[in-house]
Amino acid sequence: MTSTMLRPPAVRPPAAGRPGLRHRAERLWTASPLTWIGLVIGVFLSLFPFYWMIVIASRTNDAANSWPPPFLPGGKLGENIQRVLDNGDANIITGLANSFLVSGTITVATVFFGSLAGFAFAKLRFRGKNALLLIILASMMIPIQLGVLPLYILMAKLEWLNTMPSVTVPFLIGGFGIFMMRQYAEQAVPNELIEAARVDGCSTWRIYWHVVVPALRPAAAVLGLLTFMEQWNQFFWPFVVLADPANPTVQISLRSLNTAYFADNSQIFAGTLIATLPLFVVFVLFGRQIIGGIMEGAVKS
Amino acid sequence: MSSLETTAPPGLDPSRSRRTARRTPSGFPWLTRLDLRLSPYLFVLPFFVIFAIFGVYPIFYTVWIALTDRSPLNATISFVGLDNFVELLTNDPQFWNAVWNTFGMFVLSTVPQLLLALMLANALNRRIRGQMFFRLAIAMPIITSTAVVALIFSMIYARDFGLANWLLDLVGVDPIDWRANRFASWFAISTMVDWRWVGYNALIYLAAMQSISKDMYEAAALDGASRRRQFWSITIPQLRPTIIFTLIISTIGGLQLFTEPLMFTSGSGALSGGSEGQFQTITMYLLEVMNTRFRWGYAGAVALVLFLLIASVSFVNYLLARRISSDK
Amino acid sequence: MSVTSRRRFAAIALASVAVLATGTACGNDSESGDGPITLVVDVFGDQGFGYEELYKQYESEHPNVKIQERGKGLGLGDYNTRLTQQITAGAGAGDVVALEEGTIVQFYAQADKFVNLADHGANDLKSNFLPWKWEQGLTPDGKVLGLGTDIGSMAICYRSDLFKAANLPADREQVGALWPTWDDFIATGQKFVAADKKHKFVDSATNFYNVVLMQTAGAGSGHTYFDKNNQLVVGSNPDVKSAFDLTTKMISAGLSNHLKSFSNEWNAGFKNGTFAAIGCPAWMTGVIKGQAGDAFAGKWDVAKAPGTGGNWGGAFLGVPKSSKHPKEAAELVKFLTSAKSQAEAFKKVGNLPSSPQALSDPAVAEATNDYFSNAPVGKIFAAGASELKPVYLGPKNQAVRDAVENALRSVEQGKAADAAWQDAVKNGEAAGK
Repeated sequence: MTSTMLRPPAVRPPAAGRPGLRHRAERLWTASPLTWIGLVIGVFLSLFPFYWMIVIASRTNDAANSWPPPFLPGGKLGENIQRVLDNGDANIITGLANSFLVSGTITVATVFFGSLAGFAFAKLRFRGKNALLLIILASMMIPIQLGVLPLYILMAKLEWLNTMPSVTVPFLIGGFGIFMMRQYAEQAVPNELIEAARVDGCSTWRIYWHVVVPALRPAAAVLGLLTFMEQWNQFFWPFVVLADPANPTVQISLRSLNTAYFADNSQIFAGTLIATLPLFVVFVLFGRQIIGGIMEGAVKS
Repeated sequence: MSSLETTAPPGLDPSRSRRTARRTPSGFPWLTRLDLRLSPYLFVLPFFVIFAIFGVYPIFYTVWIALTDRSPLNATISFVGLDNFVELLTNDPQFWNAVWNTFGMFVLSTVPQLLLALMLANALNRRIRGQMFFRLAIAMPIITSTAVVALIFSMIYARDFGLANWLLDLVGVDPIDWRANRFASWFAISTMVDWRWVGYNALIYLAAMQSISKDMYEAAALDGASRRRQFWSITIPQLRPTIIFTLIISTIGGLQLFTEPLMFTSGSGALSGGSEGQFQTITMYLLEVMNTRFRWGYAGAVALVLFLLIASVSFVNYLLARRISSDK
Repeated sequence: MSVTSRRRFAAIALASVAVLATGTACGNDSESGDGPITLVVDVFGDQGFGYEELYKQYESEHPNVKIQERGKGLGLGDYNTRLTQQITAGAGAGDVVALEEGTIVQFYAQADKFVNLADHGANDLKSNFLPWKWEQGLTPDGKVLGLGTDIGSMAICYRSDLFKAANLPADREQVGALWPTWDDFIATGQKFVAADKKHKFVDSATNFYNVVLMQTAGAGSGHTYFDKNNQLVVGSNPDVKSAFDLTTKMISAGLSNHLKSFSNEWNAGFKNGTFAAIGCPAWMTGVIKGQAGDAFAGKWDVAKAPGTGGNWGGAFLGVPKSSKHPKEAAELVKFLTSAKSQAEAFKKVGNLPSSPQALSDPAVAEATNDYFSNAPVGKIFAAGASELKPVYLGPKNQAVRDAVENALRSVEQGKAADAAWQDAVKNGEAAGK
């Protein structure tokens, strides 16, 4: 198993390494021109909004509101980004820092608690396991909207309003992380290894740390990436509890930018660019793992 | 606890446990026993603590609120029984309008989304150069937040200087006021949802397609079945559980649709989703009732009905999924 | 658990606590002890309240006070939603909060969550405010919920360059003379759009409607959607119906640019200069200047409004009970709402003072606005401000207003006026329930 792809080696790219296949069957997997056209259109539609974001973010606002719309980038990108960074209402630098802090904390906690609980559900026997697992599955279905009012009152009582714990603590561990780690642990951690460790007198915690953690590392990386992306993009709940424009997450900065300077599209788009950039870097560096994780999750469930 | 102690930890041979106990460095056999019994619960505890405080407690509180006329504008709170639910279900056209919109946009976004994803996955399942490039490119929209998506597409669908209207103008169609017309607004919002999720679903389908045995296709090809035929009679049936899975995910997301329609309009009253509520979703209505009408009790009822809707649609999906996987 | 792994676990736990703790540190710390205290002031609106210089002055006079402002750039709807949650939850609101004219009524029922400013000597200041403004800040049982900052008053802001190009008079006296009544205003608009096919006459139906409604109600029933007993009268108040009808008449005359007020498109409309006139309370001058920008300096002007004058908008400052420094906060409110401060804010963002002393202060009364072709804004807006009758807005005013405005927008989008009126009443009644 490589660290780039989560998938066990059972599934290979189609037809690879299968010499001696009949010509006809071989032809089955070749791409027709139609396939290529479809893919190219798909890629174009998928990437165009990113391109357009750069176009608008690199032009003056007058050009952004002109007719016909502009299609080539201009030279104002640095200037627009500077304007966003200097913007006293959006506080986007604070927003970025807060988002890193919040998403990072949640990611670490999710991977840690998720692998711990996933290991327990996959490999340990205890009473009420199935019932507890069912609760975890059901919890994934509950929308945050359901309890938004009581949650708000709770945050107020804890004096967490407008602070980062209000958008961090409730999300430290979710059902998805546990479920994903359980699925992976079930196949990736051999029972024999656990038994052997027990015989050697390891405590459950030591088994987790020395046997399970190394085996779960690839899945943990993917869970971490997916969690970070999801948390970075949170909008609804921060929108409700972070009322102080001086202390936002980056998505709330964007919203402030939009309400305060809505006619200034070049500045707004420069803001979306800044807000998306960290995840773009993550995607460039770890895109293969992310895609592997998505595909892996699909086969599991 | 006592009942637990009389049960040997299942799966562990008692003799082995004893051996384990003997070789525990600490030399405290009771510690090992405690470890075996308690550790699993300790390991899953963090989730249940968080879930109890931030998941379960608010739900029960919401149930209680929904049975009252609580409002920040009322000095007193009185118990009204099921009045809120009765009004919601029998005498609230705006709520049903929101339900209609939510389901309409759900269908309008989900059906093309899954079809397009299937087609893309089918194309990616061919032998093509640059597999990884294509996968990365179509998956890239998932790095954007819904807020960013809404901002970009709101500008594409602007009435006066929008890209979409410019394209229509090129082919000689009159510009559309995307926020005025119900279907146009549904279409615009659905494209936002689809843009973000088609690639993601395509990857899921691709993974499932790759686990289908190649021999089936080869046999079918030998029998003279066309590619199209193979797609419909082999790929689709094999993919049914995966399709159900993506349907459930889309259901949960689709019925909670909020950020895209909210940020589709700007300015005051964005929660009302268009001049005639053309694209007001249930979540938007929930926040409108809560935050501009200040009927918190009633908002509690809306929240619960939304949850019941999601739960029952998901449950139907789940039943379907079980039925299909047991058929296999 | 072995010693090493336990230590490792402790390290992880410590690390996560540390991370969380730094998160907390980002929040507004509530100070205690003898050090300087921080007072948080919550305001709303594109331009804020224009208090920056005043804070500096206050801080230098009170070395133990630091002032932090939040909310500049926040729309009124968002602001009010948050404030309501914060007040109800009893936490999170600033030490001083702005209460808008249309929403202060909603907080009467929660007067126990606010400091009664009368306990801090506010009653001595009664004569510092226009009588009707003072009344609006009182709860029904006479507590002082907030002290007035500004009033809206009413005028018409117009593009003199476009008027001239359409062969209409451009001078503000003559322009004002064009429209003794709103019907004359519509007739003028028809002449304008006949001569100028590229621009619309007014920005939107809803802005026009609100100006007309506030004027009609001020001269008539004295209330809009709710009567003074908080009974919903959206369908039966003739003032609402007549403002609605006048607006649909304006729409069918083709005068509206169909821009939703306070929206993206609306702001783009200012930037691109797509309409020629807009109903203009004093605070709107700040909005226009901020949105239209330097490119339109000197092209805008201010004329008197049709009809009898009126008031739309304006705000108050109050102190929530959740403030840890109610005494200091109340002092700050008294300072910010003093005649001198109001005159200063007028200079900064155009908010018309609610204090008669400030209104007669030459700095206000003789003020001209260079952005608006040196129009004597002080004189235009202050005219008749003291004789105004206040309009009572009910506790759910904003919700009903949204419903009626939506109906008007549907007329702009092609719906028949009669059917839209049915919608307005039906949805307004649901919203105000």
